[in-house]
Amino acid sequence: MINELMVLLFAPLIAGIAAWAFDFRGVREAVGLTGALVPPILLAKAYPGILNQPLSYTLKVGGFNLSFQLNALNWYFAAIASLVGLAMALGMVSTSRSGYEWLFALMSYTGVLGVFISQDFVGFFLLWELMTFASFMMVLRNNRHESLKYFVLSIVGAYAMLLAIAILYTKTGALDFATIRQALYMDISIGAIGRGETILLFLLFLTAFGVKAGAVPLHVWAPGAYSEVNQSYTAFFSGALSKAGAYGFILIYILMGAKLYTELGTFHGHITFAYIMAWIGAVTVVVASFLAVLQEDIRKLFAYSSVGQVGYILLAFGVGTELGFAGGLFHVLSHAVFKGLFWLVTAAIILQTGKTKFKDMGGLAGKMPFTFAMGLIAVLSLAGIPPLAGFASKWLIYEAAISAHMPLVAGAIFLGSGLAFAYVVRFLYAVWFGQRPSDLDDVKEAPLPLLIAMAVLAIPNLLFGIAPGLVTEYLNKALGSSIVGGDYFKLVTKTGTYNALLVTIILVLGLAIAGLIYLYGAGVRRISVTNTYQSGNPVTEEFNLSIRKNFYRPLAEALDFWLKYSWDRFYERLAGIAEDFGDAVRQSFYNGNVQSYSWYLAIVLLILALWGVL
Amino acid sequence: MIDWKLILEVIGMLIYATFMGFIFMGIERKAMARIQRRIGPPIYQPIIDTLKLLGKKESVTHGFIYDFGPVFALGASIAALLFIPIANFQLFSSNADLIVVAYLLEVPMLGIMLGAMSSGNPYSAVGVQRGLLTMVAMQLPYGLALIALIQHWGTFKLGEIVALQQVHGWSVTVPALLLALIVFDIVFQAMLGLEPFDIITAPAEISMGPMVEYGGKHAALLFTQHAVQLFAETAFFAVLFLGGASNLLELLVKQIAVLFIAIFVASIYPRFTIDQAAKFFWKWPTILGIIAVLLTV
Repeated sequence: MINELMVLLFAPLIAGIAAWAFDFRGVREAVGLTGALVPPILLAKAYPGILNQPLSYTLKVGGFNLSFQLNALNWYFAAIASLVGLAMALGMVSTSRSGYEWLFALMSYTGVLGVFISQDFVGFFLLWELMTFASFMMVLRNNRHESLKYFVLSIVGAYAMLLAIAILYTKTGALDFATIRQALYMDISIGAIGRGETILLFLLFLTAFGVKAGAVPLHVWAPGAYSEVNQSYTAFFSGALSKAGAYGFILIYILMGAKLYTELGTFHGHITFAYIMAWIGAVTVVVASFLAVLQEDIRKLFAYSSVGQVGYILLAFGVGTELGFAGGLFHVLSHAVFKGLFWLVTAAIILQTGKTKFKDMGGLAGKMPFTFAMGLIAVLSLAGIPPLAGFASKWLIYEAAISAHMPLVAGAIFLGSGLAFAYVVRFLYAVWFGQRPSDLDDVKEAPLPLLIAMAVLAIPNLLFGIAPGLVTEYLNKALGSSIVGGDYFKLVTKTGTYNALLVTIILVLGLAIAGLIYLYGAGVRRISVTNTYQSGNPVTEEFNLSIRKNFYRPLAEALDFWLKYSWDRFYERLAGIAEDFGDAVRQSFYNGNVQSYSWYLAIVLLILALWGVL
Repeated sequence: MIDWKLILEVIGMLIYATFMGFIFMGIERKAMARIQRRIGPPIYQPIIDTLKLLGKKESVTHGFIYDFGPVFALGASIAALLFIPIANFQLFSSNADLIVVAYLLEVPMLGIMLGAMSSGNPYSAVGVQRGLLTMVAMQLPYGLALIALIQHWGTFKLGEIVALQQVHGWSVTVPALLLALIVFDIVFQAMLGLEPFDIITAPAEISMGPMVEYGGKHAALLFTQHAVQLFAETAFFAVLFLGGASNLLELLVKQIAVLFIAIFVASIYPRFTIDQAAKFFWKWPTILGIIAVLLTV
């Protein structure tokens, strides 16, 4: 009897290996897709019982007991990951022609699922590294420089986590979450772990999870890495992998929340350690969103936007109230679905046009109408237009941040959503509207599997937008208290209310009234895109009048002072200094002179002799 | 069960709001003209203009999104209006709170932008760019003003904010909220698209920006949208800071007061360039907003 959890966990990996081994057209796709389909089916099957009875399994490997558990909270994360994973596999049927990509994409799928369902640090760390390694291999295939950047920051994160685990192990003697949590809770009264060590642990975990979530200033790997992979995979990379970081932040709460609270206390009425997280989130939102607005490459724009949106999740967790958790967890879902959808749309555009820069695109709405419609749904959801999923989750985060009296953090959300509006419109304008460059005249609609993948992610955007109660009700049960009231269509908090269904109905009503006025008016005649008002100068097709480059130039001018500083350049400089230092050391010590080598030997022997070794 | 009273209220309110919105537009033009020592058009001129546009024999279009944009904008304005408690009519306001209304008031912008972008006109594109940058610039002070208000009254529900103001006095009478009001009023100027923030339309530079391509029934829809939006935004202002109103007449007085402040400011100041506007918004209004939110924590 093979355990269901193990099937769930390893099905993608095995399918990936099979797809790599039988690298033939058709077989590869069929095997990979089957592997990606197994987790969503098993998770759906587990759904009815999961709130009452968690599923557990222990795997014995080389003296370690790896325990896995599917409970109410990580079912939610795993379900989101598997939904995005399925969409990724469908998208890859269209965009990928290599067994290599299938292998590592599905390997990281297994890694992410494993991170979510692990219940001890051995399994957690191993699968975390599997996930990192697989995604690194995906980046390496396309761009060595960006993959190294990702690699170095991931290593920093991994060492931080390893160190934290080691400290926890020496202090508590345990590696499984339940015991550690218990031990840290008991330690509040015992005090075996000092204040300094608690802060150290917190910082180490913050680094480890912050790297994966792409929190500023550890975000520099994300734009490059998100851009330089197969774009169908990015849907998973940004939609699910970054959520492992967000999950880590929850883990900090679960494992050491009480301990951190007693050691660090409160700051102006806010829990200090949570407040730090909230500010990390707020800074991430603002910085990444500003940078997203100024990008000239479609992939870079969405990469920065992804970093910014994960910032919302960290911010919401940092609010530290139950409402904050509900909002953050809801945003995990809505970010996964709208950003996954965005990346699939990007995949379709790049696949069909072969262009990535905004300046080479335009006027595609008529050529790829279905993809455009999907892109519009994603835009509306990300910009937080009611009634889509993105609005429902943002609404909860607003309510949480303002009711927790974090005005400046909430101000960052306002600024971030204004910026989000700006960059999605940039995307709409540059890709879909305006004059079409003549080399894009024979672009066709995206292939069917990719369109199905988009639909898989578009439906949740609409469904959970109109019926946000479906999600909040589950979250109420998972978090064990009724945080958000109301029914399937209506969200009610202590201070606010949002009836998504009614907003939808009124919006439709308004559209109907406006539509009637439109229909009442005269008939319309279709004219070409160049037939516009040009102050009396007739234009012909040769002129391209669309603004494709530097669309937001005035903003860049207003921000020129701030744009002089860049974390990316700072790290590059740091890397440069380290390299120079290494060169200097090599040149001065390893100078190829036998005499100096013998001197080194003599000095070392002398030191050892003085030390008493010899 | 169908709530006929509510349906009648909604229909009545839509007609009233649209009509008054047009009158507000007329007042704006007339007052501006009087300040500049012109006679100006009659106050009902916008209504005549709109009816004329609607009666045009033929309209041109640049495709589906070009048609959809104005329709979406008007639809969203209507939706926003119906979630604001207007005088003694609660309409649907108990179903959506301040954040939802604030967002709904921004949705029409997206509709106009969508239509403008699909026209392919470079002036429209510049208008879209300026519109979004103005929005980015004003979002922070706007948010801070709203946060100060919510923190002071401790609720997001517009109905409760009005009720609390009727018991404890208008928001303006609270010192911290007076600062928030100043911030909100500056932002309000940009929301109405009046000087010094009429960067979006800038008739003398970019020929009405996003609206440049629109004519015929599309323009009529946009005029109507502007009327509804004007009514909704002035009502929103009155609800948040001026204690709401117990009847339509009281509300009208407050709306016109708000409108006249906007007109006076608009007729004094010249236009900012877009980066000046951004720098301005991120300086004084933001500082005042931060003081306001810290005072109300």
